[in-house]
Amino acid sequence: MLDTLSGIVRRVRQGFAGKKYWRSFGLFFALIGPGIITSNVDNDAGGITTYSLAGAEYGLGLLWTLIPITAALIIIQEMCARMGVVSGKGLSDLIRERFGARITFYLMIVLFLTNLGNTISEFAGVAASLEIFGISRTLSVPFSAAFVWWLVVKGNYKSVEKVFLFACVFYLSYIVSGFMGKPDWNAVGSSFLKPAIQLDKGFLTMAVGVIGTTIAPWMQFYLQSSVVDKGLKAEDYQYTRMDVIFGSIMVNVVAFFIILLCAITLFQNGVKIESAKDAAQALAPLAGEYCSWLFAFGLLNASLFAASILPISTSYTICEAFGWESSLNCKFLEAPQFYGLYSLMVFLGAGIILLPDMPLIGIMFYSQVINGAILPVILVFMLLLVNDRRIMGKYVNGLAMNILSWLTVAVLTILTLAMIIFMLI
Amino acid sequence: MAVNYEPQVFLFLSEILGIKIVDSEGRAIGKVLDLTGNIAEIYPPVLDILVRLEKDKKIVLLPWRRVAEVNGTLIFHTPQPEDFREPAPRSGELFLKDTLLDKQVVDTDGAKIRRVNDLQFLKVHRDLYLVHVDVGFHGLLRRVGLERSVAFLLRKLFDYTMTDQLISWKFVQPLFSPDLLRLTIAQNRLAHLHPADLADIIEDLNIHQRSAVFRSLDAETAAEILEETDPKIQVSLIQDMDTANASDIIEEMSLSEAADLLGDLPKDKAEGILREMEQDVADDVKELLAHPEEMAGGLMTTAFLSFTPDVTVAEAMETIRREAEDMDLIYYIYVLDGEEHILGVLSLRDLLIAKPETVLSDIMDKRLISVNIEEKKDQIADDFAKYGIMAMPVVDDDERLKGVILFKNLLEVVAPKLGK
Repeated sequence: MLDTLSGIVRRVRQGFAGKKYWRSFGLFFALIGPGIITSNVDNDAGGITTYSLAGAEYGLGLLWTLIPITAALIIIQEMCARMGVVSGKGLSDLIRERFGARITFYLMIVLFLTNLGNTISEFAGVAASLEIFGISRTLSVPFSAAFVWWLVVKGNYKSVEKVFLFACVFYLSYIVSGFMGKPDWNAVGSSFLKPAIQLDKGFLTMAVGVIGTTIAPWMQFYLQSSVVDKGLKAEDYQYTRMDVIFGSIMVNVVAFFIILLCAITLFQNGVKIESAKDAAQALAPLAGEYCSWLFAFGLLNASLFAASILPISTSYTICEAFGWESSLNCKFLEAPQFYGLYSLMVFLGAGIILLPDMPLIGIMFYSQVINGAILPVILVFMLLLVNDRRIMGKYVNGLAMNILSWLTVAVLTILTLAMIIFMLI
Repeated sequence: MAVNYEPQVFLFLSEILGIKIVDSEGRAIGKVLDLTGNIAEIYPPVLDILVRLEKDKKIVLLPWRRVAEVNGTLIFHTPQPEDFREPAPRSGELFLKDTLLDKQVVDTDGAKIRRVNDLQFLKVHRDLYLVHVDVGFHGLLRRVGLERSVAFLLRKLFDYTMTDQLISWKFVQPLFSPDLLRLTIAQNRLAHLHPADLADIIEDLNIHQRSAVFRSLDAETAAEILEETDPKIQVSLIQDMDTANASDIIEEMSLSEAADLLGDLPKDKAEGILREMEQDVADDVKELLAHPEEMAGGLMTTAFLSFTPDVTVAEAMETIRREAEDMDLIYYIYVLDGEEHILGVLSLRDLLIAKPETVLSDIMDKRLISVNIEEKKDQIADDFAKYGIMAMPVVDDDERLKGVILFKNLLEVVAPKLGK
């Protein structure tokens, strides 16, 4: 009897889970892989803000950095995807198994704090975008936090993900707007040919921010887990690689147009971005006086999309490293650490925005600078793992790949150190 | 030195790793990197110590039995040249830190996947036996080095004392590598789990561990697990196997489940498996495969028993006893005429309480419910709910019995209706 009963329960659960699975992994997801999803989440509140600030404050000055950033993003994401496919394990899993409990413990604390910063920035994005419509943040932030919590824990996130993804066509408006704004393409071209670095605090911080938002540490954990969850095999790896490369280029094309537009609309007119309304001016060539509405919509979507993924993916990452039960199929008491961490992130992320006089733009920007400063640390771990033959077998990095990636680490470290030194003096 | 030294009964691996190993004169020999254990035993005894030598940084194995004392350092009887061995484990010998510490294992008692924070040894005289695996927060803090400060805080603030969460080694199944699973196959502890629990665990594992675990099971257990797993995972597990092994496992599954699975597989793989299967099983499965999955024909099984009206209860019981193992359904038996029309039905209970010499036609129930082979799932589910039976006979257009649908095969359709 017990046999039949547990069989019955099992089968009922299976029926539900199975159906959901198929529905969401239908045609839509056959075409859109983890790489493209990841890159769309990458253009979150922090991303849009940082790119806008980069254009508004330095004009075309930072545009050239997108070339090496794109290359670095492709190299890094490719390694993550490869590790996921070959080892079948998430990044935090591998770090724990290779580097032991102590290092993992402290690294996870750093990751938690960094990602908390990012979560705060997503809710800042919600607050900023809805303030354009005149909705107070005391209303919008708690409501969106409750919505996100409900969507992920009780609702059907997978089907809403399609809505978020579809709404990402918003980024096209930057591209269209970019052509309508009639930029001086010669100037754009020469900015790439004559890359310039200014050795001052502002420029270095901005550069680290742009890097940190494009190559956010948490994206690497998220991408690798998505690849593992999809159960991709080494034979299918070439499709994953294409997916990752395409996604990485997409992020940077959008970044290019945001910076370009802010350069020709804001920088040339000497406008400083002090609120989201200012950043929205970049879309004026396309949307005219409705530009702030369009911008608000895009920022809201980006913020909610990332706010739905970031806290839950962080909880998974941490629980995976420590072997705590982590599944949305569990009840709260079965997985207390998992739900506890998740709720704490959403609660703190939204709560901090509600403190009086929080500078929204500043939060969205500096969270990305922290990302950029943490990135080299995560990269070192990744490189040690991807070169470990016991984990990767014949799929370890080649020599060229290693030279490029260690060079990236070196440049990032020098840049971060330089920024810190300039901040201190 | 006259110190009040109480011999420790339990030792943690984290307390041994990294400590110095000295000879009886106190001269440093090297540092402990790892221990090896003989995992063929129920509680593996520690065999060797992996040591990085002080003098030339070479890595060697030293036998544990020559350790005199463990007390912050390992005191080793003055080492002889023959004690030093190349760091290659013998068969059955396992590097404990390397394969277990920080890795995932299955706790077969709690039916969960856990991560190993520490290993606990029992010290009996000079021998060390691996007895427990530490999976708790306390163990994690010990590894991080924050055990004391956190324990102090918890005690002062909340009057709470942390306890160790230990799993006995006899309930632990390592997952580290396929070799390890094969090595312990004789005492594969996963087989002690309920198939439904094991199926849950398999779904939680990653793609490599999944096939490794699955391959380590015997065909019968594997078949039971498959019946309990998500269809998508079923397909990926079978696709990773060669046709011969796959067909062995699928033969052990119930007919309707086997047909569903084969229907989900790519065509050439399914055909390959069917060719390898025993002829009569393959024929039955093929017959089921011909029907669309959402109709009665696709849900039914043909592994049930039927009799002619003149058979006695004793004869029927004898047949059931003989055939039951291969049948999907034995709780109902059907009475048919020469052209396979159903005349009546009997439950196993009817047979048990009837006198052995009674003829089936005398006690059978003639009020029959049946569904047409092209009936839709939803309608069948409604019939099940209405009549409260465990299995439903399926007939073709000429009212001939073709198969039976088991209630449990319809659960995913019925379950949502149950709440109403």
